[in-house]
Amino acid sequence: MGELVQKVELMGSDLPWLEGLREKGAVFFERQGLPTAKTEAWKYTRPRDLLADDFILPPLEEEKENACTCGEHCTCGHHQREGEDFPLSAYVIDFENGALEHIAHNLPRGVTIKPLIEAIYEDDGIRKYLNKSFDMEKNPFAALNTAYLEQGLFITIEKNMRLDKPLALVHHSFSCHENLMFHLRNVIVLEEGVKAEIVEYYNYSGNEKSRYFTNIVNEIYVGRHAELKHYKFQDEAFKAVHIAYNAVKVKGEGRYNGFCLQRGGNLARNETRLSLTEERAEAEINAAYIMNGWAVIDTTTDVEHLAPYTKSTQLVKGVVGGQAKGVFQGKIHIAPMAIKTEGAQLHKALLLTDEAEIDVKPELEIYNDDVKCSHGAASGELDADQLFYMRSRGIGEEEAKQILVDAYLQDVLEKINNQDIKDWLAAKAKLAK
Amino acid sequence: MKTPLLEIEDLCARVADKEIIKGFNLTINEGEVHAIMGPNGAGKSTLSHVLCGKPGYEITAGTVRYKGKNLLAMAPEERAREGIFLIMQYPVEIPGVPVTTFLKHAVNAIRQHRNEPELDTMEFIKLLREEGKKLGINPDMLKRPINVGFSGGEKKRLEALQLAVLKPQFSILDEADSGLDVDAMKVVAEAINAERTEHNAMLVITHYQRLLKDIVPDYVHIYADGHIVASGNKDLAREVEEQGYAQFLKEK
Amino acid sequence: MTTEQEKPEIADESGDKYKYGFVTDIASDTAPKGLSEDIIRLISQKKGEPDWLLERRLEAFRFWQKLKEPTWAKLSYDKIDYQDLYYYSAPKQKVAPKSLDEVDPELLKTYEKLGIPLKEQEVLSGVVAVDAVFDSVSVATTYRAKLAEKGVIFCPISEAVKEYPELVKKYLGSVVPYTDNFFAALNSAVFTDGSFVYIPKGVRCPMELSTYFRINAQNTGQFERTLIVADEGSYVSYLEGCTAPQRDENQLHAAIVEIVVLKDAEVKYSTVQNWYPGDKDGKGGVYNFVTKRAACRGANSKVSWTQVETGSAITWKYPSCILQGDNSVGEFYSVAITNNRQQADTGTKMIHLGRNTSSKIISKGISAGRSNQTYRGLVKVSPNAANARNYSQCDSLLIGPDCGSHTIPYVENRNKTAKLEHEATTSKISEEQLFYCQQRGIGEEEAVSLIVNGFCKEVMQHLPLEFAIEAAKLINISLEGSVG
Repeated sequence: MGELVQKVELMGSDLPWLEGLREKGAVFFERQGLPTAKTEAWKYTRPRDLLADDFILPPLEEEKENACTCGEHCTCGHHQREGEDFPLSAYVIDFENGALEHIAHNLPRGVTIKPLIEAIYEDDGIRKYLNKSFDMEKNPFAALNTAYLEQGLFITIEKNMRLDKPLALVHHSFSCHENLMFHLRNVIVLEEGVKAEIVEYYNYSGNEKSRYFTNIVNEIYVGRHAELKHYKFQDEAFKAVHIAYNAVKVKGEGRYNGFCLQRGGNLARNETRLSLTEERAEAEINAAYIMNGWAVIDTTTDVEHLAPYTKSTQLVKGVVGGQAKGVFQGKIHIAPMAIKTEGAQLHKALLLTDEAEIDVKPELEIYNDDVKCSHGAASGELDADQLFYMRSRGIGEEEAKQILVDAYLQDVLEKINNQDIKDWLAAKAKLAK
Repeated sequence: MKTPLLEIEDLCARVADKEIIKGFNLTINEGEVHAIMGPNGAGKSTLSHVLCGKPGYEITAGTVRYKGKNLLAMAPEERAREGIFLIMQYPVEIPGVPVTTFLKHAVNAIRQHRNEPELDTMEFIKLLREEGKKLGINPDMLKRPINVGFSGGEKKRLEALQLAVLKPQFSILDEADSGLDVDAMKVVAEAINAERTEHNAMLVITHYQRLLKDIVPDYVHIYADGHIVASGNKDLAREVEEQGYAQFLKEK
Repeated sequence: MTTEQEKPEIADESGDKYKYGFVTDIASDTAPKGLSEDIIRLISQKKGEPDWLLERRLEAFRFWQKLKEPTWAKLSYDKIDYQDLYYYSAPKQKVAPKSLDEVDPELLKTYEKLGIPLKEQEVLSGVVAVDAVFDSVSVATTYRAKLAEKGVIFCPISEAVKEYPELVKKYLGSVVPYTDNFFAALNSAVFTDGSFVYIPKGVRCPMELSTYFRINAQNTGQFERTLIVADEGSYVSYLEGCTAPQRDENQLHAAIVEIVVLKDAEVKYSTVQNWYPGDKDGKGGVYNFVTKRAACRGANSKVSWTQVETGSAITWKYPSCILQGDNSVGEFYSVAITNNRQQADTGTKMIHLGRNTSSKIISKGISAGRSNQTYRGLVKVSPNAANARNYSQCDSLLIGPDCGSHTIPYVENRNKTAKLEHEATTSKISEEQLFYCQQRGIGEEEAVSLIVNGFCKEVMQHLPLEFAIEAAKLINISLEGSVG
């Protein structure tokens, strides 16, 4: 087994507090180790791929040329990315192979986006937020992410700003190097009254069989009366491992609205742990996944209602084909003092093939009686009569399936308020040919 | 000589920190029908809730005497057992509890209070069927859980049925909202009229005069800003219908 | 609190609400405290068991020693000292009773007090046969002769071991092997008595069979073992009731129930569990760790679990169905009520292995006081279980601001033709509902009991009639003092 914690020189090693934090991350990760069958939080998703290979950090810029192993017919494109640019109008921030490449120049006043390491050196407020939104003892990958703290962004949006366009964090992976690992940390702070949209896009171009490991932690702070719409499209290479942990804290009357479409990766997990910390904070977490091959795609949520009059809803829908496995774990926790809260959650999955599998664990944990909570889960297959009906009218089988799948995912896609993003993601939520 | 049934003096009540009833006075004698009319949002429902003892209201001043007793000191069920019946505009649903079971508990609690023998199941079902038949209630409806999946009309019929079997002395009809289902109300009006005797009295709380064509009141009061701003006979209701509430609101 | 005087029958001499809290003063034959191979040999010897059973016990004990007590359930309790318990306690009788006339009158009185008449002529016009288990032994089984006419075997398991060794050897431990879990291993090592039922091919058991469990002796664990075998085309309805005296220390109860259902057979298993729940501050009460499982081995077989759980300080119990036979059906209907400081972690597992298997789960949890309750369930569909169906509904009702209610269903589907549906809701008794009842003259406690009974109705209707009445009463008693 390759060691995931390696001795490497990272930027900022001259800052003792940062080195100490990294050290702590490494210790917490090693103490927990990789999740096993007995780790309840990872019951259905076992990151076996991480055991099989040695993952390394990307080579430094000056080593890149020498490290290229592609030979003269190089098509890997590591010299230049070929992947799709972000197709919608947005303030774009590009990452290439886990490293920040470019930040949009035309940012409106009041929006500050800095490379994480720069913000750490400047030490202008980031320490209030960095590593403050989750518990490393319970999150092995967030601990590992802390051990490699260097890449990522510190985004702050000043009081009452209304963004006219989304911020788009676009991650292009196209390296020919095998077994790279990327650890990214974004700290996102919306001050009081801010309204903003953020899109995360993970795409891949290059050798499609490339195996790499993306480990993202987003720490998101939504201020009073602020509203964040957070969209994500995960379209990694089919052998990649993608593990994302979103720690979100929402203050009084603030609102977080998340939508995640997952399609790529051999093992992918998008986990959101959201705390409604003050009265009347609200959250909506919606997600869709569509999968094939041998993939495991995991959607995990944990919504904590810590204050009265808070409200959350979740809708997650999945389509599982091939020999793939879909996993949904959703938890609603209601604290004793969080009276008059409402929490609702629904997961539905469609199984397309005989080998497909779906594992679900919706969970309610309620500590006071003045609440309204519900969850539901359902799974089944495509309706044979409907398929036959369409085919009898001349529609090909694949097309008929696609029509039914589109219809199945329609209600969750409808949850996206931004029409451009809805159209973009709806076009991506298709069965593989 | 008229016998007073309900005497309200200088009643003040609030919800949370909001004053809703502000110095309300009204005496209702046996055999009388009073109507209270007022614009939406005037707090008319608060009055019916306070009279029935619904939790959540704070009485800050005043007295209410019912049959000479201090009504405000009684628990809601004691008031019901003493003969106060509230016909609700939006009666609540209670899943899993059939109408029959529920009403048997209610009827026997009230009979016990009146020192009457409890009805056994057979007697009770017979009573319920008979009364139900008069109101056009299908026996199947009696087996269903209270109000669960009932149409607006069915809910009203069930309220009327309860009125008929519980035989209250003082009924309050709360139709405070403007959303009035005229056909459904006919059923209730007929049931109410059937219970009118020289000992029973009634308070009708409504937004529209329409209802008062079916239940003709002896007295009409206009309620605004927490108290009665005008009183008269049934002609007052017609006046409101023709000219609106504005004139009364200005007077204060 | 207006209904207090209306239920005088529930107050016992100690003035507490648990009416089964009395202790029977009876001499007993008790093995020394603690657990060891010697104690197991002693139990086995006292029961005059064959060697194969002793060997199995020892195997289970050795395995148990390697296990750790499970901690995954949402339960917290002081560590149990397994060496500080008595593992065998039997009422002292000179010889084993041949008929009811020989049973110690003190024992008969106990069961009478509990409302379980053991004299056959008194048993409800012959519709229920009873096996009474007192601490570690079965003290009386009624109607055996009448059942024998049909070929139905209903006797203490200790007797079955001797009289029907082939049947017992074949099926005992075949549904719940000793390797299954910590408490199952413990029970397999030290089980003392319980009931054995065999319904022969094509026989519809002419009456309800019932076992009544009673823990009496102090510091004694009760480890009963029930085995029910329904042969092809047979049917039986089986009832189980439990009570224990009111004691300040905790009593341990770790039972196993195994049910084997062959082709076209059906078993209905109903439980009203009313072990002593402890007092309002959580002192005393039974720790109830039970493994119950049914194997639907044959095609078209059916098993139905119905449980009303109102007692015990700690409940850890997941009656399960292994749906092996094609078209087999599993059902789980549960009402669990916790009040004061009670804790319950309960639910079911439905394992779909055969084709066209179906299962249904209806769970109603009511938490009051400072209690905590968890529904934990698993629905698993294996790749071969084509057309499996499951419908699960888990509703929780919370009464009061200090209780907790948790729902943890696991759903694992590996067959696309399976249709699975799970729904869960939580609610409280709304002020509107209470007010409506009160406005119609119904007192608060009575209103709560009406609403709770309405909430549980879907489950209660699956209980045999006499049981349903007792269960409804129990629910009301359990919730007393939870409102107002």
